[in-house]
Amino acid sequence: MAAGTRNDPGHWFEAQPLWFKTAVFYEIHTRAFFDANGDGSGDFRGLTEKLDYLQWLGVDCIWLLPFYRSPLRDGGYDIADFFQIQPDYGTVDDVRDFIEAAHQRGIRVIADMVMNHTSSDHPWFVEARSSPDNPKRDWYVWSDTVHRYEEARIIFTDTETSNWTWDDQAGAYYWHRFFSHQPDLNFDNPEVQEAMLEVLRFWLDLGMDGFRLDAVPYLYEREGTSGENLPETHGYLKRVRAEIEANYPDRVLLAEANQWPADVVEYFGDGDECHMAFHFPVMPRMFMAVRREEAAPIYEILAQTPDIPDNCQWGLFLRNHDELTLEMVTDEERDYMYSEYAKDPRMKINVGIRRRLAPLLDAGRAEIELMHAILFSLPGSPVLYYGDEIMMGDNVYLGDRDGVRTPMQWTSDRNGGFSRADFAQLYAPPLMDPVYGFQAVNVEAQMRTPYSLLRWLRRFISLRKEHPVFGLGAYEPLKPSNTRVFAHIRTYEGDVMLCVHNLARSAQAVELDLSAYEGFSPVEMFGRSRFPRIGELPYLLTLAPRGFYWFQLVKDESP
Amino acid sequence: MIDLGFLDPQALNDWMVTQRWFASKTRDVASIEIVDNVTLRAESPVLALCLVEARFPAGTHENYQVPLALRPADEGWDERVIFSDDEWTVYDALADPATGRELLHRMRANTELQSGQDEFIFRWAPNAAAGLGGTVDVRPVGVEQSNSSIVFGEELILKAFRRIEPGVNPELELLRFLSAHDFPHIAALVGWYEVEGRQIDATLGILQEFLAGFRDGWELALEELGTDPERLLDKLQALGGVIGELHTVLGSDSSDPAFAPDEPSMEALPILSADVDEQIERAFLDLPETEATAPIRGRGQDVREKVAALSHISAGGKVIRTHGDLHLGQTMLGDRGWIVLDFEGEPARPLPQRRLKRSPLRDVAGMLRSFSYVTAGARLLRGVEAPADWEARARERFLEGYYDTVDGSLLPPGRQAIDQLLAVFELEKAVYELRYELNNRPDWVAIPVDGIVRLLEDEE
Repeated sequence: MAAGTRNDPGHWFEAQPLWFKTAVFYEIHTRAFFDANGDGSGDFRGLTEKLDYLQWLGVDCIWLLPFYRSPLRDGGYDIADFFQIQPDYGTVDDVRDFIEAAHQRGIRVIADMVMNHTSSDHPWFVEARSSPDNPKRDWYVWSDTVHRYEEARIIFTDTETSNWTWDDQAGAYYWHRFFSHQPDLNFDNPEVQEAMLEVLRFWLDLGMDGFRLDAVPYLYEREGTSGENLPETHGYLKRVRAEIEANYPDRVLLAEANQWPADVVEYFGDGDECHMAFHFPVMPRMFMAVRREEAAPIYEILAQTPDIPDNCQWGLFLRNHDELTLEMVTDEERDYMYSEYAKDPRMKINVGIRRRLAPLLDAGRAEIELMHAILFSLPGSPVLYYGDEIMMGDNVYLGDRDGVRTPMQWTSDRNGGFSRADFAQLYAPPLMDPVYGFQAVNVEAQMRTPYSLLRWLRRFISLRKEHPVFGLGAYEPLKPSNTRVFAHIRTYEGDVMLCVHNLARSAQAVELDLSAYEGFSPVEMFGRSRFPRIGELPYLLTLAPRGFYWFQLVKDESP
Repeated sequence: MIDLGFLDPQALNDWMVTQRWFASKTRDVASIEIVDNVTLRAESPVLALCLVEARFPAGTHENYQVPLALRPADEGWDERVIFSDDEWTVYDALADPATGRELLHRMRANTELQSGQDEFIFRWAPNAAAGLGGTVDVRPVGVEQSNSSIVFGEELILKAFRRIEPGVNPELELLRFLSAHDFPHIAALVGWYEVEGRQIDATLGILQEFLAGFRDGWELALEELGTDPERLLDKLQALGGVIGELHTVLGSDSSDPAFAPDEPSMEALPILSADVDEQIERAFLDLPETEATAPIRGRGQDVREKVAALSHISAGGKVIRTHGDLHLGQTMLGDRGWIVLDFEGEPARPLPQRRLKRSPLRDVAGMLRSFSYVTAGARLLRGVEAPADWEARARERFLEGYYDTVDGSLLPPGRQAIDQLLAVFELEKAVYELRYELNNRPDWVAIPVDGIVRLLEDEE
């Protein structure tokens, strides 16, 4: 076959089943990114137009929030047709073109996929509720009483009072772990299992590089259990993985399981289930550490994190499209987080805080850089959230989590360069406040400003990518006696990295036990300056307030 | 597949790292490993087309095409030898005419070779005459570049890519496009070979018409600067016309997404200005204190501000696929007029970047910088002083020819916007040259330095 005509993602990439371990991910809300057709809503052609930017930034993989046909009562996580896309996002052909264009730039694309439930508008559910005899009836979970699976907790505590909702037409209660308009599919039904595989194949055949699997812990229900992380759920995920292994090389399954690390590791199986899973608990602890000026919360959560199979990876993030979730912290820690980061009650939602990175850190440049440095240094693959790279803010007056999903701010022009539509036509108003509004905060201005966060982050991404150690290497905490300093060593093949981060608002001195590296010299990675050779004594470093150093430890030939 | 287990990996390693085409000469190599090989010829000389992976201590790697040839040791083969033991001599197969013949034969026959999960595909261009190349007179080209070349009977030239990257090589892509659109000023594409493999899909080599009797544009300019600088100006105006025509053709087909001319994105200029800014920052960070660098020392900030000011124009015109690395050394002049060569782009950039659509003015800027080089080169290499205003006139005449033939809608509207964008691209190029010359040819540093000073002082 002639070169250049294949739509196989392999064509523009080397075979590399572990590509995701060294990748930088970038999460995009299609509606919010760029509006190419001027209807007020972002679309796939808009994404394609912005690939130059994403290539320049250096991201390896784009994660798209759900773009399927949906009544949009839950930001698209309520899917009404798995094989069609939201009409104002364009067509399935636009998706294919976008994936191909991304691949040509060396960028992969994964899609959010909701297997647990559908929208109540989905034809499957419409059929299912129509009659007890309908063949689709058993595709969902029904009951005559609400007294089943009572030990399953309610997740959306702000809006839901029960996991069962009565349906007049069906004459029965249906089961839903999330909103009542999102009935859970019945994975005990083999037809559902097969139908979901069919959905995955459709998008993989289109060139998609994998999925971020939304809400995976909840696929099955069993009496007397929490209905989370059940063996049957793992069994089905292993079946999905086997299908991908057999027919779709170099794709990735990224599990969203907002659970403790000990439970989340189950989603890796023996390297035969999900390739990746988000590490939820590490994120609030980074915010805690920076506010308390103490490294302990980060050391502790990493110490509690079990080892994972070699072919698996953690997904790490500072912020995403949801609230900053506080489910995986103690009550005391949660109170602390609320008091520090959600002073206005409007900022709270469910069990979390609905704010973006920059406002959480009071737009402190040093703090934002420090948090990225810690994120990039930890064992895992970083997942950035669109807009955070330019310090976009949020809008707490918008409902639900829409406040962190406002239009991307490209320029200081009308609508922040997001859309040529009339302002009133926009799906959501762009930020216009004096601190975070598009006049002050936008891509163009930051590209043209040499010392902007955007330019800094781009350099940092490219630096990280030169050293696979950050994705692949071992992690060894140093725990110096100065408890305000988070210091650790990463090693992979011939690469040794020393990462030292000062969480304090004040300058700090720290003595590090580097005796294992006696005779090596630290070379600072941004400026390539060589620091004094490591000797027998503890190695002394001084750090600026919220400052950090990354060093490559280089074996010195000549003393 | 041939068992190459007896080949000492250290010998291959030692040989590879000293080759001109080995991209990462400044880095330590952790290991070099043959990841696949396919047999081109089973009897002596045994020929194996190998894909080799070089791994670096940090865990990154690069892929190379390394055709190997084996002859019994007692034949005493002594060219480009990599390894020998009592039984075999292993050497760079591209030094052996037998390799060229095998590759040519397979391209002409449109064959495919299977090796494990890898398929090596050989193709003859649809409109190339089957008889080309004959079987005689195969010679490797002496000067090793980032690729290796073989000439067949002064009719055909094969360029084997050494470092390979996934995807179509832009050179193949552009030659096919330009052939299909009847652009006459190229060496016609005759064939190519590629691999669709377990590890990588990549273009491995390209067979083109050999331009017998043509003269290298750079050599010709050096010479005529001494003999007839006026006549050279006429030639450069004609070259401008050819480049204008090239861009017109490259921007003419909206039906092919890989080539359709696009509006520059909103980010096009900010990205350009940010990239150039970063390159300037890096170049000035460790600028050595020599006489040659004196005129720009301490002026890094001025240069950065100049770029920032110049790039504050509204993006206009179109972005198209371009040559990507245009200068006099990429042209030849002969009885068919000017021919443009080497469409693979700047080899140091990763393939996805080389395939990006850019303003055609980036090519033009490359050529204009080349006039600066040839003026200085005539002095340095030939002791010839060009007429005082020669370079300025060369620029004018080239641009005159260019504007005559280029589709104006591809360029930003208005002469001022064009000049500004050209100046940004020239600065980008000069800063790249500065870093290159500092590392490779200290005697030539003054050329980019002059260029930078001139652009700084230009008040437009």
